[in-house]
Amino acid sequence: MLALTFETFRQLTVNGFFRGCAYGLLGVGFALILGVTGRFHFAYGFTYTLAAYLAFTLTFRAFSWPFWPSAILGVLLAACAGAAIERGVYRPLAKNAGATALLAVFVASLGIGIAGENLIRLLWGSETQAYFGPTQTTIDWWGVTFINFDWWQAIAAIVITAALAAMLRYTALGRRIKATRVNPDLAKAIGIDADKTYVIVFFLGTICAGVASFFYAVKYTVDPAMGTLPITYAFVVAFLGGTARSPIRVFLMGIVVSLIEQYASIWLSVQYTQTAVFVVLVGYLTYLAIRSSAFMAKFNKAGRPTPVVPSTAAEV
Amino acid sequence: MSLWVNYLDQILLYASLALSLNLLLGYAGQVSVAHAAFGAIGGYAMAYTTLSHGWNFLLGTLLGMVLAFVIGTLVALPALKLTVEYLILLTLAVSSVIIGLLVAIPQFGGTYGLINLPSANLFGWHLRSPYDWLLPALLSMVIVYAICHRVGESPVGRVLKGIREDPVATEALGKNVFAYKVTVFGMTSALAAFSGAMLAAWLRLATPGVFGFAFSLTVFAIVIFGGMANLNGTILGAAIVVLLEPVLRRVVRIEAAKASLVQLIVYGVALAILMRVRPQGALPEGFSLWRRIRGERAPKARVEMAADWVPETVQHVGEHVDDQLPVSEVVRRDHVWHDAPVVLETRGVSKRFGGIVAAHELDIELRRGTITALVGPNGAGKTTVFNLLTGAIPPDSGTIKLNGDELVGLDPDRVARKGMVRSFQDVRLFNRLSCLQNVMMAVQGQPGENFATLAFRHGKVKGAEEETRDKAMGWLRFVGMGEFANVPAGALSYGQTKLISLARVLATEADVLLLDEPASGIDTKWVDTMLELIEQVRDRGRTVCVVEHNLHVVGRLADHTYFMELGQITAEGTIAELTNDRRLAEVYFGTT
Repeated sequence: MLALTFETFRQLTVNGFFRGCAYGLLGVGFALILGVTGRFHFAYGFTYTLAAYLAFTLTFRAFSWPFWPSAILGVLLAACAGAAIERGVYRPLAKNAGATALLAVFVASLGIGIAGENLIRLLWGSETQAYFGPTQTTIDWWGVTFINFDWWQAIAAIVITAALAAMLRYTALGRRIKATRVNPDLAKAIGIDADKTYVIVFFLGTICAGVASFFYAVKYTVDPAMGTLPITYAFVVAFLGGTARSPIRVFLMGIVVSLIEQYASIWLSVQYTQTAVFVVLVGYLTYLAIRSSAFMAKFNKAGRPTPVVPSTAAEV
Repeated sequence: MSLWVNYLDQILLYASLALSLNLLLGYAGQVSVAHAAFGAIGGYAMAYTTLSHGWNFLLGTLLGMVLAFVIGTLVALPALKLTVEYLILLTLAVSSVIIGLLVAIPQFGGTYGLINLPSANLFGWHLRSPYDWLLPALLSMVIVYAICHRVGESPVGRVLKGIREDPVATEALGKNVFAYKVTVFGMTSALAAFSGAMLAAWLRLATPGVFGFAFSLTVFAIVIFGGMANLNGTILGAAIVVLLEPVLRRVVRIEAAKASLVQLIVYGVALAILMRVRPQGALPEGFSLWRRIRGERAPKARVEMAADWVPETVQHVGEHVDDQLPVSEVVRRDHVWHDAPVVLETRGVSKRFGGIVAAHELDIELRRGTITALVGPNGAGKTTVFNLLTGAIPPDSGTIKLNGDELVGLDPDRVARKGMVRSFQDVRLFNRLSCLQNVMMAVQGQPGENFATLAFRHGKVKGAEEETRDKAMGWLRFVGMGEFANVPAGALSYGQTKLISLARVLATEADVLLLDEPASGIDTKWVDTMLELIEQVRDRGRTVCVVEHNLHVVGRLADHTYFMELGQITAEGTIAELTNDRRLAEVYFGTT
């Protein structure tokens, strides 16, 4: 057994927090999309990768733009791609498929995810490429170290999450999104354009992915498969946090998941830590299944099974 | 040439893995993206026992199948209650856990996996070249095909499709949805392990990369391409997916490095387009080339007729009881009801949802050979009563006795098998199944619905299936829908679905029938047909309870009526007695 010193614990906690900011941000974006639109957006991983590649290209391949503007533009362009996927693919598909929309959208997004990743390989090559940004500096706080990018990412993630939460709570757009989330048909009946809201939600959700992607890229590298792992974390965090819940709650869940992963590394070898996260998830889903049968959420009045969702009431 | 034979081997092995996924995904409607991970269990079990213990690969395969069956069954336990998106997530997580564990166990070679397996030894025959593998690969696909076909196109398969279409309705017809889901999950996991082991033996390696999530998606895509619930489609799908890369490379002449990328792009885009233009896949459910050739076309004309046939005006028959029954008839009915033996009796049944009292101290009696009506304003809790009686909602307190047997605590399927079956207000037919299959599903005690009987007693199953078909046909004719036997239920008009729903309930031959608004929302002339049918059912000695808004209907049918308000029964008697009560009339109509 490894001796767990206070220093190690402190460092792991800080690592967990910074990593967790990325997980949280990914989860917030995915939860927003799934919660509001009900689309199982597997191509989220592709838009994630796309954001980093676009930012990278604007600086190092195409126009030699300055670092920050290209980063912002890259993220925004990827967000447009996310919105376009909703508008061009999911929407017509879901209207066509009716009751089986969820499966149809999932399959289509699977297709887009696979095609997208390989399109990136075709256009930019399969190899890992270094993304040179501002100089990386190490910050030392009483023996706990992290780098400046971690710090910026944490700030960006917290600002975005808080802004999203505030937007949902205080603005007309936020109320529109929440109304659509609770009941799209009713929202339509009171004059909310649900289709348009969906597109906006995809745009906002993809921004979350894009920002996380950008910080990952400057800290490490860009590669076509970089979206594979984040998407699974996005799923896990979004589901554990609750897709119909406040972004803040989902974000905190991201940090919790990351901390579990970090602490697991004390006792488990690195290969197991990811598995540990998924074991927690399987356990949680099992708990949900048992709870739904134990309590009476199984059938509502019409005898229709109530979908198992962590929260029935939308909160924010 | 040897290269193309190799591709052929690959098609056969991929198809054999995808076939079992089709049984799970296409027939039973369970979306799993963990199928390759179960294949990995088989592949690793085979590879490890061969490499480290010198086992024959068939023995290792068998071990893998047993392991996969156990793990698959365990996974299915929580999966039962989950909606599609949670099931996708759960299988995604399970897939990651299985692959993660395989990577983490040092004996399994970590990320490199198990490589350099000896060539497979099939009873002394060493399978080395692609040609050697042709027959074994074909054989393994045929075995999986045979099993999946046997299960899928049988009474079990019918139940699985029912679960896919509407698990609640399936359970209400007396099928143990839980057991079926768990069994089919376990079974397809074992089959996946078998195919995975064959694949590993053919590749002579078992690595996390081979069986990774990407491969799960490929297998998933094969099923979608080929067509869900169509096994021939799956073979076609496997051929398309496998051959795309070599065709691009050799025929279109794209350079090798790019071909594999273009292949993935093509099939990713194709998936998205397919969902838009042909979501049912290349070969849709029920499509058979053989039948096409013999000229047996699907009953298309009939479908169009059924879809176009909509009642011209959907009228609600007068809400007022203008045409009162003659007094003598009322007295006679009342008399009959008082003399009839009690079949179902509830005492003090209550149910609360948080602060809302859905049912309060219900005392209800249903008597043999009579029709009891449950009336009351909207929201009075009439449908909740049916949910309580059938076990869909467990009551907080009280007893429900059917012929003296306690029903409280039983699941809906058990209640149905005890002899009390309900219909649904929103009909809940299995839309993609034919009318005949809808009704056949309801026939009780089919030996072919048991996996073991299905496996070992072919003759018995076949004979029983004929019998079931005849019975179901009989009930279809009884409700006047014999013509529509082969029409998918989804193509029917609303009035027709109500008739099929009645036939389905009748085909259970249950003692007690609970009919939820059998005549609501349908055309006047359908109402008369429906009421006549229900009367005939009563005259055959069945016990009927109807929930109904239409007092005309109640007046004609009911021998005894309960009036419900806010979860309580506030009055009972003949309909005449109830309608003469000014207060009840006010509650019901809102006016006096």
